[in-house]
Amino acid sequence: MSGSTEVTSKAASAETPGRGRAPGRAATVRWRWIVAALLLAAACYAPFQLVPFHVFQLSMVLVYAVALLGLNLLVGHAGQISLGHGAFFAVGAYTAAILLQRVELPYPLTLPVAAAVAFVLGLALGLPAMRLRGLYLALVTLAIAIFLVPLLKRFEPLTGGSMGLTLAKPAPPAWTGLAEDQWLYFLALAVAVAAFLLAHSLLRSRVGRALHAIRDNEAAAEVMGVRLSFYKTLAFAWSAMFAGAAGCVYTWVIGFVSPDSFVVTLSITLLAGLVVGGLGSFSGPILGGLFVMFVPGIAQDVNDAAPGVIFGLLIIAVMYVAPTGLAGLAGRVTRSIQKILRKE
Amino acid sequence: MSAFLEVTDLRAGYGDARVLHGVGLAVPQGEICAILGPNGAGKTTLLRALSGMVRVRGGIRLDGTDLAGRPPDALARLGVAHVPEGRGTFVPLSVEENLRLGAFIRRSRAEINADLERIYTYFPVLRKRLKQAAGSLSGGEQQMLAIGRALMLRPRLLLLDEPSLGLAPLVTQELFRIVRAINEEERTTVVVVEQNAHIALGIAQQAHVLETGRIVLSGTAEQIRADEQVAQSYLGYRV
Repeated sequence: MSGSTEVTSKAASAETPGRGRAPGRAATVRWRWIVAALLLAAACYAPFQLVPFHVFQLSMVLVYAVALLGLNLLVGHAGQISLGHGAFFAVGAYTAAILLQRVELPYPLTLPVAAAVAFVLGLALGLPAMRLRGLYLALVTLAIAIFLVPLLKRFEPLTGGSMGLTLAKPAPPAWTGLAEDQWLYFLALAVAVAAFLLAHSLLRSRVGRALHAIRDNEAAAEVMGVRLSFYKTLAFAWSAMFAGAAGCVYTWVIGFVSPDSFVVTLSITLLAGLVVGGLGSFSGPILGGLFVMFVPGIAQDVNDAAPGVIFGLLIIAVMYVAPTGLAGLAGRVTRSIQKILRKE
Repeated sequence: MSAFLEVTDLRAGYGDARVLHGVGLAVPQGEICAILGPNGAGKTTLLRALSGMVRVRGGIRLDGTDLAGRPPDALARLGVAHVPEGRGTFVPLSVEENLRLGAFIRRSRAEINADLERIYTYFPVLRKRLKQAAGSLSGGEQQMLAIGRALMLRPRLLLLDEPSLGLAPLVTQELFRIVRAINEEERTTVVVVEQNAHIALGIAQQAHVLETGRIVLSGTAEQIRADEQVAQSYLGYRV
């Protein structure tokens, strides 16, 4: 009897290796931090080797990665859906832009304010929305994304209307000796690292366990004392907060906001980017950020006439080859390499 | 003197479909109460009503506190632990994470760790599987995990929904032996819903037979077991 359970459990854990919860988990976690440290070192080195345009592109990858971290909390870890994540991104971007232009606040202060505004807005909208599930929730969040653009165009004295707002980018302090693009890149990198650590510690806390419980089995979570509406709303607000912070850095890096940068497509691209990157995974937001940044451009190169079609086909192709996203694919490849190495 | 768990004229259902039509029970503290009956009798609904998962009318009192109309998370805080039908395992999470989630409402880390140890003494197999994904456990192990997780709440009332479902007879026997041991050691009051009447009556002090939302027969476990007519019409075996 115990022999047969042994076999089934082994077979089952072999089928779900992506979760990394096998006995070797501690080793995997250690490896993950080593890889993260190496990546960080490479990220610090990169801007001195690349031309400014590529540095700018990498900054944008980091911006999207921060936004996707938030979306990952909500979708990947709490199991809810949002088609309105781009709206909170826009709120963060506009909050920063308005504070910089109209209030002339020093730019580092715009980050906490933008994050806080997005958080409060997420809380306010999440409170009613998070009582809904599945498709209904998707529709409500989609509505948030849809009505944002006309709203931004409306309050012209504040938002600059359809023309948007053009701002001076944060200048590098003289002591750093960095060029503007490099400085912006390091700002984005600092925010991204802080956001990663914050998300990581959130998920490891009691609250993170509550989110996983809600995702995996709502009813069981509830009978264990997890207040569903409270934690779902909190997850929604946090996800909005990360989006808001990302939006703020976006404003720093681009130096320009306009309603047309934040149309519904942005929300949908972000969600697609996260799914392609890997839902609920550690590296998913970074891979998703790369995807959101570069794949539309690649699609444009492949076929100038119909970039949307190519973009769509690429998403389908990735999901076909890697149903658990690029993060899952990377994990699978690493494990098979490890297996080969072990055999030799 | 009123009983520890007192259910009076309990009515519940889903939308327009009424499932329970006035159920009454009284379970003294530290006893095991078995709810028997055919499919569709409302056994699961009764448990769901006790843990706040369906809307109810009527009275539910636990140690004098009114439970009716409270949401499930509030009831968990009051000490009601529900092991749902199908176990409610958090499949991708590890065994340990599942158990720790059971103690979600509790704060003291030291107490939680002590309780984990206590649960491993009841279910030694769980200790061996701590870091394994809960979904990779066998059915019996998952049921043990579900009961262990419920115990992490330090429940005053433990609700078990068909713990024998899909388990081999030997595993079921072992499981009920452990439930009995838990009941004796912790003085936890248990309400267990079962299709397998024989095994449930083996550990219960009292039993009720539910049919189409009403209790049609109540008594001590011995009385129910001795009732030939019950045995044939509801419990599906001859004594």
